[in-house]
Amino acid sequence: MLGVLSNIALILYASATSLALAYLVQREEIVHRLTSLATLAGWIAHSIALITLAVETGRPPLGSLSQAVSTAIWVVVLLEMLVERQYRIPALGAFVLPIVVVLSLKASAARPAGLEQLGAAFPGAWVWVHIALAMVGIAAFVLNFAGALMYLLQERQLKAKRPGTFYYRLPDLQTLDRLTYRTLALGFPFLTTGLILGAVWARTAWGSVLTFDPLASLSSLAWGIYAATLAGRALVGLHGRRAAYFALFGFTMLVLTLGAGFFLPGRHGS
Amino acid sequence: MALFVAGVNHRTAPVALREQLAVEEDKLRELVRDVQATGAAREAVVISTCNRVEVYAVADAPGEARATVFRRLCQHRGIDPATLEPHVYTHLDEEAIRHAFRVASSLDSMMIGEPQILGQVKDAFALAQACEAVGPTLHTLFSQAFAVAKKVRTETDIARHAVSVSFAAVELARKIFAGLTGRAVLLVGAGKMSELAAKHLVDQGAFPIYVVNRTWSRAQEMARALSGTAVPFEELDVALGSVDIVVTSTGAPEPVIRRELVHRVMLGRRGRPLFFIDIAVPRDVEESVESLDDVYCYDIDDLKQVVDANLRERAREAQRAETLVEREVAKFAARLRDVEVVPTIVSLRERLEAIRIAELRRALARVPDASSETRDAMEALSSAIVNKILHAPITKLRESGRAGAARSWTALVQELFGLGRTP
Repeated sequence: MLGVLSNIALILYASATSLALAYLVQREEIVHRLTSLATLAGWIAHSIALITLAVETGRPPLGSLSQAVSTAIWVVVLLEMLVERQYRIPALGAFVLPIVVVLSLKASAARPAGLEQLGAAFPGAWVWVHIALAMVGIAAFVLNFAGALMYLLQERQLKAKRPGTFYYRLPDLQTLDRLTYRTLALGFPFLTTGLILGAVWARTAWGSVLTFDPLASLSSLAWGIYAATLAGRALVGLHGRRAAYFALFGFTMLVLTLGAGFFLPGRHGS
Repeated sequence: MALFVAGVNHRTAPVALREQLAVEEDKLRELVRDVQATGAAREAVVISTCNRVEVYAVADAPGEARATVFRRLCQHRGIDPATLEPHVYTHLDEEAIRHAFRVASSLDSMMIGEPQILGQVKDAFALAQACEAVGPTLHTLFSQAFAVAKKVRTETDIARHAVSVSFAAVELARKIFAGLTGRAVLLVGAGKMSELAAKHLVDQGAFPIYVVNRTWSRAQEMARALSGTAVPFEELDVALGSVDIVVTSTGAPEPVIRRELVHRVMLGRRGRPLFFIDIAVPRDVEESVESLDDVYCYDIDDLKQVVDANLRERAREAQRAETLVEREVAKFAARLRDVEVVPTIVSLRERLEAIRIAELRRALARVPDASSETRDAMEALSSAIVNKILHAPITKLRESGRAGAARSWTALVQELFGLGRTP
């Protein structure tokens, strides 16, 4: 049942992705409507899958790295739908949905192990809060990345003075910069609190914060980049292209973090 | 009975001929009445713009009707029919429907997607209506053509992107700024072109407007025209710092706006973009200015390049519009065939219904104390009889419409049931 639901969600997300990319090339209103429909349907199937998982295991759907990533994807899709309406960026799906599909493939291909070990190592409720907050943070940074990418594409077209697909399909620079800033401002507190809780937990569980764990170390690096960007934006007027580069850099670090979690041995193991 | 359109447009006839043919409104009314009076066409709509003169008509013998119409037109305009003939195109039935849809949707225009043509077609239609030259066929055709035109406009980007340099500049500004409301504009130099660009910006909500010019009186004059403020030339730096969009059009031989100046100005703007629209030749803004962050600088050639890209985008969208029109034509051709028989069907129904009601009243008057059940039964009985009688002729009429034989069948039914005459 669970597998079937996850597969349905994945297939719908994949269809939405192809439609969103098609919409980028061919502005056909019906294509956009179908994209939104497939996205929403996928998200509903995904929601049911997550609820089923929670009911079956009797705990939040965050019991392994792949489950946590799956929950993060769920938040990403929710944010995508909200932001698309709020900021009127019909092309947003083309930038967010491919990431959703890649992450979903990774999340579902990962071994479904880890549940038992995690249960043993973490008997408290705080660990769920740690994972949940970190995942909401990551979700916001996916949108942050998409906003930065769109900014850079639009900026390049405007500077090159050769209007192409992106010039016509993407909104104005100020809107994109604002989107990048707001998603950073949204994601950062979540990531920060999530990381602090993780560190505190590590101390109680293993007696030390500084035990080497690849995921923890890389995520601190990503956090550092985002902290620097936020400080730059708030204090010295960092914005636009440079801020967008920071967003790309930070997101690369986040992807490496997740990669480390999936592929390297460590406490977060899949 | 057939629908046809015949005429000349910007592709088939040179402008000299088109301007000779073009008919002003008063004369157009005369022409439409004249065409009707000849009896060659039952319905007629004449469109006359600088790019086309076309007659849409419904006639029993289209060839004959077309000849009559053009003879009249040539008489009216004093043209030899022989010189006109090689330029005239004629489309029949489905072709005529397609043509009407394409014209109204601006797909047949010289500048694809231009918005005026729809209004011109609407005016022509209204004029023909006023002359009572519009019957059911042309009424259905044009109503549908307007609907298709609207659909094309909303579902494709055919008319979305600017095809003039000044509008292209406004569109670019909308890709840099989140809305133009309250964006301050500075005009450097007081040319006609920059005034036009400024007006477009003001229409989009841009304000306030500042004008800088070497000649103080000219600056004041232009500021008045745009409800803006004139600023002395020496305060150009200060003005630059407080505006978002700069339109330059001075006649200066050397750039007026230097990189060093813009660099200094940008430091104080905290990332607010600055957009230069430089329509002066030689250019007013130093070329190296555009390498600065958050500065976007478009000269006249750049703007033309944007217009070209917009035109290509329109052409792409026109392809999609053609597909859309094609679907509508197929749907409509089927509907139009019904149109010919529908009025007869309606009057047939009305006639029988009138007889039924009259006879029912008479019968009920004879039995004043009939119970309500009896009344209901009589009502139902009469309705059932009328419907049974109507079934076969209506079916036959619809079939004849689809088979293209509507004319003889409607005439027969009208004759048999005495329709179109007072009983």
